[in-house]
Amino acid sequence: MRTRSLAELMPLVAPVHILILSVIVLPSIFVIWLSVTESTYGQAPTWVGLANYARVLADPAFHGALWNTVVIVVFAVHIELAVGLLVALLFASGLLLRRLLLVAVLAPYAVSEVIAVVAWRYLFDPDAGPVTLALQAIGLPILDWSFEPVHAMILIGLLTIWLHLPFTFIILYAARLAIPSDLYEAARIDGATPLQAFRRVTLPLLGPAIVVALLFRYIFAFRIFSEVWLLTGGGPARSTEVVAVYLYQEAFSYNAFGTAAATAWIMVVASLLLAAGYVFLLRRQVTSNA
Amino acid sequence: MKDKVTFDITRRGFLGTALGGAAALAAGPSFAQANTLNILSHRVHQAVLMPDGGENLLAEWKSAQDAEAAFTTFDSNPLMDRLFREASLGSTDYGVGYMVDNRPTSEIASLFEPLDSYQKDDPIEDFGDIAPGLVQGMTVDGNLIGIPVRHATQGLFYNEALLEEAGISAPPTTLEELVEQAGKLTFTSSAGTPVTGMILASDLAVFPVMFARAYGGDFITKDFELVPSPEAMEKGLDTLRGMFEAGSLPRSYATTKNDDMVTWIQQGRAAFTVLPFARNAQLNNPEQSKYPGKIKATAFPGSSSLPSGTPMAAVTEAWAMVVPKNAGDKQLAWSYIKEVSSKRVTTGMALNGNGPVRVSSYADPALIEKNPVAEVEAEVLATARGAFPPFPEAARAQATMLEEVQLAVIGRKPVKEAVAAIIERVKPLMPS
Repeated sequence: MRTRSLAELMPLVAPVHILILSVIVLPSIFVIWLSVTESTYGQAPTWVGLANYARVLADPAFHGALWNTVVIVVFAVHIELAVGLLVALLFASGLLLRRLLLVAVLAPYAVSEVIAVVAWRYLFDPDAGPVTLALQAIGLPILDWSFEPVHAMILIGLLTIWLHLPFTFIILYAARLAIPSDLYEAARIDGATPLQAFRRVTLPLLGPAIVVALLFRYIFAFRIFSEVWLLTGGGPARSTEVVAVYLYQEAFSYNAFGTAAATAWIMVVASLLLAAGYVFLLRRQVTSNA
Repeated sequence: MKDKVTFDITRRGFLGTALGGAAALAAGPSFAQANTLNILSHRVHQAVLMPDGGENLLAEWKSAQDAEAAFTTFDSNPLMDRLFREASLGSTDYGVGYMVDNRPTSEIASLFEPLDSYQKDDPIEDFGDIAPGLVQGMTVDGNLIGIPVRHATQGLFYNEALLEEAGISAPPTTLEELVEQAGKLTFTSSAGTPVTGMILASDLAVFPVMFARAYGGDFITKDFELVPSPEAMEKGLDTLRGMFEAGSLPRSYATTKNDDMVTWIQQGRAAFTVLPFARNAQLNNPEQSKYPGKIKATAFPGSSSLPSGTPMAAVTEAWAMVVPKNAGDKQLAWSYIKEVSSKRVTTGMALNGNGPVRVSSYADPALIEKNPVAEVEAEVLATARGAFPPFPEAARAQATMLEEVQLAVIGRKPVKEAVAAIIERVKPLMPS
């Protein structure tokens, strides 16, 4: 086989490099530069060093937003994973009307986030929403999300789980279907109970898929914006604000591009730290169980 | 007869057809006007000029300039962001933008063309007829950077049918009466709808500022005095809190938005609200409202505790047309501004629901006949002023104030502490 020189290969790989450079690397460098300047419309950027980072990290509103984001990420992603796994196993075990149910499970992913939030806002309207009225009719407590921050956070969590469940489900379902059936047959012959088959066969083999689903969902969930912005706007009194809403306000309401850029980089680092620690632990556990 | 249809095309045939088609298009008649003026605005600015099924008020300008007006529309905040971003670029395709009057700081104003020389060389018809206060609001560092085109002056809207049902014969004339009537109107109507006395959005400074002004106070005066009377602000917030506790404001107050106010009034879920007078037609639109013709407007009342004759300064917001400094054809932009500012178009827009910036428009018989709130709007406008003056950190100051107001109204913070926090937190944001 002929070995090609670097000069011959460059034209073939250059488009990819140019694309990555232009849409990821250069904008990222620009945001880093923006984060160490103070700038707004009509004002030339002035160098401020790490002052923007210090200002954001010292802002109590940012602490609140970061805490809310972490709470939503940790709860929503894990519940979503558990439900997604359950549904995937249910489908894999054989269901009546499987194709129809598959469409039903995947449907939320086809719905625009804006439309989904508007629909949920209507359904859970604290005065006249059909779900609220139904809960009241059967004597159950309602979600008082427009007044109680905790209720608002629960509704945001439920909404984000509903919206993104198809993503987790489809990854786990595909991975489950890829597990050879003779492994289950061997487990059954060896006398394994269904629970033991799940622990010893399904879970270890689904491990890599779980890691991938978790990693992506951690990163996506950390950027949660539409659900919060359209449902509560971060209120009452910023009590449900998340980091992406904080960033949006800095950039587009206050036009403070320096602090907005610093917030963006803090977000990147925080989400990677949160995801990296978990993925490392999970991978180690999966490896030791395998 | 052939039973098989074939479609053979050669490279030569394809290229020949493509080139011939391109040549025919190039040599043929022009399908577009010679000039296009790109405009950044809110949807409402376009709608009052070119209403669906109504007269196109720009027809004469289009014909005279052989030009087309191409609107790109956004909601208020995204519109300001896009306008400022366009004006910050090396050049922009947009010739005219619409700017709200609480945004032009010195930095922002520097992005836009001073219009004094245009006005001197090619003046707008009877410029003195345009409300001087609105013109002053668009004069920054001595330069006129925008021509006022619309004002949105806040009035008190009420559902006359619900008032009658509750045995109330006339709308309130004092704030105390308003609170009392809102309390009576928190009931289940004969239609079976649970009614809340009043609906107010919690994400706009307009409402707490109106309540503070009703007691003679303010948030930030035009001279940049922060909360000139903390007592008046406390009374205003106490009143809002009392209404919330009594159920006269909905429990969802802290997440209520502007659109909710319109919907609740149209559906009969609230009896009172505060909205711009220009919303009158929308609130009474038979296609949207359950109470067409029954939603009326009056001036927002001041407190009876104020000395007799003290005028209530309602909040007004004005929009102006600006020209980015980096725009291309500025003469075309100015011709558009001149046309839209003319008496004919100003009155025409007013008939389509725009708040007219010309004093003379309110005397127009057609407007008086078509717009039942024109007279009261003109009276309110005489003493109205902006919610706060423009300064670099105004948006952050507003958000900070609203956060404290929300905490006070829903009972998570004592009113006195909330007002003290407003002063303490907003002070560092004020211009030096």
